[in-house]
Formats: sequence, C-alpha cells, structure tokens
Amino acid sequence: MKALRLHREMNAIWRTEPGWRGVLRSVNHSDMGKRFIVAAFVFFAIGGVLAMLIRAQLATPHSAFVGPEVYNQLFTMHGSIMMFLFAIPMFEGLAMYLLPKMLGARDMAYPRLSALGWWCYLFGGTILIVAMLVGVAPDAGWFLYPPLSGKQWTPGINSDVWLLGITFVEVSAMCAAIEIAVSILKLRAAGMRLDRMPLFAWYLLATAGMMIFGFPPLILGSILLEVERAFGWPFYTPALGGSPLLWQHLFWLFGHPEVYIIFLPAAGAVSTILPVMARTKIIGYGALVAAVMAMAFLSFGLWVHHMFATGIPHMALGFFSAASTLVAIPTAVQIFAWLGTLWSGRPQMKLPMLYLIGFFIVFVLGGLTGVMLAVVPFDQQAHDTAFVTAHLHYVLVGGFVFPMLAAAYYWLPHFTGRGRVMRLGEAAFWLIFVGFNLTFFMMHLTGLLGMPRRIDTYSAEMGWTSLNLLSSVGSFIMAFGFALFAIDVGLQIWLGRHYRRNPWNAGTLEWAMMTPAPSYNFASLPDVDSRDPLHDRPELCVSLARGEGWLGTARHGWRETLAVDMVTGVPEHIVILPQNSWLPISMAGTLGGFFLSMLAGLYMVAPLFLVGVAVIGWRWGWTHGRRDDVGRVPAGRDVALPTAFEADGTVGWWGSVFALGASATLFASLLFGYAFLWTVAPHWPPPVLVAPMLWQPLLLLGGAGAALIATRRGAVMVGLAGQGAMLVALAGVLVFASPAPTSHAYAATSAAVAGYALFHISVALLMLAFLRARIRAGFVGGARGNELKIVRLWSDHAAGAGVVAMLVLAIPGWLA
Amino acid sequence: MMALLRMSAGLILWAVAFCILYGLHGIGCAAGWPSVLLPGGISLHRGMLIAVWLACIAGGVAVILFERRPRRTLVERTGWRLAWVGMIATVMTGLPILILPACL
Repeated sequence: MKALRLHREMNAIWRTEPGWRGVLRSVNHSDMGKRFIVAAFVFFAIGGVLAMLIRAQLATPHSAFVGPEVYNQLFTMHGSIMMFLFAIPMFEGLAMYLLPKMLGARDMAYPRLSALGWWCYLFGGTILIVAMLVGVAPDAGWFLYPPLSGKQWTPGINSDVWLLGITFVEVSAMCAAIEIAVSILKLRAAGMRLDRMPLFAWYLLATAGMMIFGFPPLILGSILLEVERAFGWPFYTPALGGSPLLWQHLFWLFGHPEVYIIFLPAAGAVSTILPVMARTKIIGYGALVAAVMAMAFLSFGLWVHHMFATGIPHMALGFFSAASTLVAIPTAVQIFAWLGTLWSGRPQMKLPMLYLIGFFIVFVLGGLTGVMLAVVPFDQQAHDTAFVTAHLHYVLVGGFVFPMLAAAYYWLPHFTGRGRVMRLGEAAFWLIFVGFNLTFFMMHLTGLLGMPRRIDTYSAEMGWTSLNLLSSVGSFIMAFGFALFAIDVGLQIWLGRHYRRNPWNAGTLEWAMMTPAPSYNFASLPDVDSRDPLHDRPELCVSLARGEGWLGTARHGWRETLAVDMVTGVPEHIVILPQNSWLPISMAGTLGGFFLSMLAGLYMVAPLFLVGVAVIGWRWGWTHGRRDDVGRVPAGRDVALPTAFEADGTVGWWGSVFALGASATLFASLLFGYAFLWTVAPHWPPPVLVAPMLWQPLLLLGGAGAALIATRRGAVMVGLAGQGAMLVALAGVLVFASPAPTSHAYAATSAAVAGYALFHISVALLMLAFLRARIRAGFVGGARGNELKIVRLWSDHAAGAGVVAMLVLAIPGWLA
Repeated sequence: MMALLRMSAGLILWAVAFCILYGLHGIGCAAGWPSVLLPGGISLHRGMLIAVWLACIAGGVAVILFERRPRRTLVERTGWRLAWVGMIATVMTGLPILILPACL
C-alpha cells in the first residue's frame, strides 16, 4: 500500500497534464523521448518514399518518371531528411527516454531544454517538408556545396530553406548534446561510479562530446553561406577572395564526425542488447570504453577524406588517409569484443538478436569499403560514383538502422508494457536484409562500372541497366520490410497483451520500474554497486517503489533527483527540476519566427524576434530559484544534502561550460576560416585593410579588464560598464575603420569575427542586467551564489572573445 | 572533469599535434618554405614539420609516462591505454611527412 500511495503522490508532482495543455506544456523526458522517436520514424518514412522515387527513376535508362529539377530535390531531401531529421533525432529520442532510467535518475538535467529541442526539431523539420510539398525544396545535394548552392546558381529560396531549416533543427541537436553530457556526468544513481555506468551511457557521453565540438563548424558554415546569399558577403566567392573549399572544410569538419555521431549511440545499443541476448556479461568493458573514446577523437581527423579529389597537396592527403585507416582499429576492437561476448555466452536467437546479426554483416562490409575509400588512389577512382553511395548506406544502415531495429524490439516492451502479437518482425527482417543487400551491393558494381552519383538518367549503352533494375527491385523489397515492421510495432502497441516486467532478464536499471514507465521513473532512487544492479538485486524494483531508496518522499511539489560526483558517484546535492511550462514552445515559436522572416527576406523584422527570444530567455531564468536559503534537507539513507540552489558544481554551471565550449568551437572554426582564406584563397592580400587604430583597442582592453575583475568581486554595475565599453569599441571599429563587408572576403570574415564577439558581449550585458535584477529581488545572496558564477563564465568568455576579435581586426593594419 | 580530461590526455595531444602539423603544412606551402633549403639538402618546410612531429611524439611519450601510475581504477587504466593510442596515432598520421611531396 505504501508503494501505491507513493506512486500517487509522485505522479501528482511529475505527471503531464491531460489534453492539449499537456501536449504543449510537457517537459517530461519520457514524453519528449517518445515524441522524438515517433517523429523521426515519420521523417524516415518520408525519406524512404523519396528513396523509392529515386529508385523508380533509375530503374531503367532514359526514364521519364521525373525531370532533373524534381530529381535534384528528391535526392537532396532524401539525404537531408535521413541525416538531420531521422538519424540524429532518433538517437536523441532514445537517449532522452532511456538515459535517466538507465542511470537511476528521474529526468534529464534540463527538462525545459528537452522540450525546446523537441519543438525546434518539429518546426524546423516542418519547414523543410512544406518547402518540398510546394516545390522549393533544397536541390544542391545534402552537403549543399557552393557555388552550386550560391545565389548565382540557386537564385530561388531552395538553399535558404536548407540553411535556415537545418540550422533551426541544429538548435535541437545542440540542446540535446549539452543535456545528454551533463545528465550522464551529474544525474546518476548513488554509487554509480564512471566504471559502473552502463556502456550505453559511455557511448552517449562520447557522442554528446562529439556533437558539442562537431556541430558548430556546420552551424558557422551555414550562417556564412546564408549571409553571403542574403547580404552578399563573399565568404565563398573566389573573385572576391572567398573560396568554396572553405564550405567543404566547415561542412566535413562536422560531416565526418557526424557518421560516428550516428554510429556510436547505435553501437551503445548493441553493447547493451548483445550480452543480454547472449546471457552473459560484455567482454572487454574497459577496452570498449577506450575504443569509444579513441573513435570520438580520431573521427575528427578524417574530414578531408571527403575532399581527396579537390586538389589538396599529397602530404595533407596522407595525414587524413592515415587517420582514416587508423580509425578502423577501435571499430574492430568493438566488433571483436561483441563477437567474443557471443562466443562466451549462450546466445538466444530472439528477434533483437536477428537484427544484430544483420548489423554485423552489413556494417562490417561497409567498414571494409570504408578502408578502401580511405586510400587516396582508390578514392580518386571511385569518388562521386555509386560505389560511395553503396558504402555510405552499408555504414549508416548497417551501423544505425539495423541496431535501431534491434533496439526497437528490445525496448518496445518497456515503452508499451506489452508483448508481441504475431511474428511479423522476422519476416520484416528478411525483407529488409535481402532488399537492402540487393539494392546496395549492386551499387558497388555500378559504381565500379563508372556510374556517377546523383545523375537523373543514363543511356542503355553504359551497361548499367540490369544492375540498376535489380537495385530498384531490392529497394521496394526493403520498403515492404519497413512497412511490415511498422505494422508489427503498431499491433504490439494497440493489441499486445500486457507483459511481464524485464522480459529479457536484463541487469540494467531501466527495467527496475513498472512498464510503461511512470512519469517519475523511480519512487525512490537506487544505490548501485555493480554494472548489473538488477542481476545482483532482483527485488530492487519493489524496494524502490516502496520508497526505500534515496529521495523516497514526495514533498513541497518539488521534482527532485540526485546530483552526484562525476567520477565516484557520491551524492552531492539535490536537483530541483522545473515544472511543465509554456516557455519551451514559446521560445521555439519565436525562434521559428526569426528563421521564417529570414527565409522570407524580411530582414528588418527578423531582429524583433531576437528581442522576443531575449525576453523569453529572461522569463526562463526568472521562473526558477528561491529567495531564501533552505539549508540541507533529508535525502534518505539518513543523509541530508543541500539543494542545487545552494551547491557548487550544479548542472546549470556545467551546462554553461559545455555551451561555451560549443561556442568557442564555432569561434575557432571562424578563425580557421579566416586563416584558410588568407593562406589559400585567390586575391589575397586584400586591397583594403581595417585602418590602423588606437582608441578602440585601448577602450576594449580596459572594458575587458573591468569586466573580469568586476564579476569576481560581485560588482555587477562595473561589469556592465566594462562590457558596454567593449561593445562601443568593437562597434567603433566596424563603423569607422573597416572596409565594407561586401567588398572582399577579408572584410566579410573580419566583420564576422567582430560580430561573434559583439553577440557574446550583448549576451553578457543581458545576463549581467538579469543578475542585477535577481540580486535586487533576493534570488541571489546568502548561500545562493550560483547565478553569479554562471554569469561570470559568460562574461569572461565575452571578454576573451572581444580581445581576440580586436587582435584579429587590428594586427593586419598595424603590420601593413 | 579533471579525471576525464586526464583520461583523454593522449588523444587530446594527438588532436593538437594533428592541427599543428596540418596548419604548419598549409602555412609552409603558402609561404614557399619548400623552396628554402637547409644544410643537408632538406627543405625548411619538411625540416620544420619533422621537428614538430618529433616534438609531438616526445609529448606523447611523456603522456604515457605520466599516465603509467597509478592504474588502480578503470578511468586511470583507460587513460594509460589512450596515451598509447594517442602516441601511436601521432606517429602514424605524421608518417606522410617523411614520404610524400609537400605541396604538389
């Protein structure tokens, strides 16, 4: 009875409101996870239909099915949807749903950020799909190379739709990356040391880190291309000192790590499911952690292998070729660890295992062709042929789709609390497996016979006809398989019989709760002293439901969860998470207004939405916090802990650290672009430099120094004055000393560097003003000093960015 | 966080070495260093790249020595493994400096 009473009390605090209010205001991680997964599958279906249209066009020579203009939109949207609207959101959804449950927490670190990410994803994705339906979809390939995507060759809004829509969706990805990293590092069960974490969490920690450092180059590249298209700043125009190769560098700095960003979460699912299917423990936990970390780093040294045919010097190609072959080693370590686990266990050929077998076969083949393409002479032969299309599909479908299908069948009883109805999943597997290999194995051959990627038609004399027809037949067989999978899942959701908890006898914590999962996950939070807590304590679920763990009481309407030391898992403080809110959808809607007004060319209207973002951001911060100290409160186990309002090292502080890390990466990418253009692009040095200056650098240095000191002494007004001085100094350079940004890529990149610093100084000014208001309202003071520390981080970053930007602007003029 | 950074030190060093080598290679080509010959017939460009590469390898060895003790926990053992990975990756990715034409 105690468990039932606690369930009712907890559910009253954590539940999603009924009806539309709940749809629009929910911030619960289970809701968000499920929404991401369902939406990603819908986008997958749309992308799949586009693929079938592509294959219908290529099935026969001289096909009149669609013309080249429509065909270009088809393959561009297919790639963009699958990468940005399916793969990334799918694993984000799985991570959001599963991570807190596997880690023994009640929610993610920033529930409102989860909801913001969801709405940005939905709105951004909708922009892309609507554009496709009205015939103005992007049509320059999923990597949107200029000059094809530039204003001269794509005068319509097609490229703008991609640049603005995808960047909108990337807001969602950045939110998720920061949230996943902080949640894994801070919101774990008591005693869950790093070496007791489920491997799934290690994989997602590496993935989140890669996203934090991998996405900013693409966001920067997209901003620069959109600014070039909208305002004529010539970042990518060779006649004015720009270079299309800069886009390729920025895109692939993101694009290659992206492949591993997609693969690693799926590999995390494999590492979770496979030992359960084999009824044993994973072999080589430590080796797998090392391999994952090695992949996360090495994958950043591969990006130029997408540019082997661009005329880059041989030695530089050698660097990237070596790194590209090297990354196969940590991949192989994982494959052998999984095979060893199967070998040492007693594998059961249940449905998830069947899909894992498919994963092994397809992914290993894709990996091997990847090593072939890492070798420069072979790549130069196969570059931009159907061989590359085949390779990337073997890697991505093998390395992501098959593991996700296994994951779907493995965790579906958790989502639904129900068992399967019919054995459609097995038939779906064989259709997908056979159809996939028929489609894409043939493409290796057509590629080796010289068929280029992305062509809309070909003549019968080329000798590609029968292979293409087989590929097309295979793609339709595969599509039937996916349709059958969707039917199978639907049947389980609506007609499946209620099933026992933990049907696979797994050892991880997500099964230590009733299924479907309650809104609060655990009525009390577990202690963990091994990697498989449920194997050690099968009664854990009941014990937790009775409130016998940590935080086992419902009080004050607080949404409580534990924050722990990152390494040891020792409880540090109690995080009180925010309630359901209108703010996420309001923020996403306002951001959507900004992106849509940019898309419509309403450049005078767009800044109004940014003001709206600042107002909502202010409200966002204002609605959380306390005006008094509460001291330590009971946390269970006879331990009292402080709340996050009065603790150090909070999730808010760490989130700011990661957000600034991402922003600094964007700035570093911009500085790389500046140096790249200066050394490689034509028409440099520029005809006119930023004029030599004196008062602006001095004013900026004085302002930066004042801001640095002021935030350490709590002198908020001095901090405001310091940041204000920096703003005036940098704006002074742009107005009085800089050539017009449209005149040359030098002037454009200089203005972009100054723009970055001005943006951060503006954010710091806003945060300092917010801090002053919070101090006056009593939210900051006593033991509640967190907000000051967070604002200090942002203010320091702005000061540093201002100094670097001023140096970049001033040094060429001084040296001239 | 320090424990995680220490665990990744070998890989961070590899990433830094990779960026420096690639950047130096580009700057050297732009500045015409391959045509400046050092005593012994080696170009200034290749000589600088080899010197930086060897310094980075030495840094990798230093990280291995630093990570050698203690190795009580999984995080510490992983740091030691990754120090080896970072050093070997630095050697491998820098090998083209010895073999390939610099700016062709």
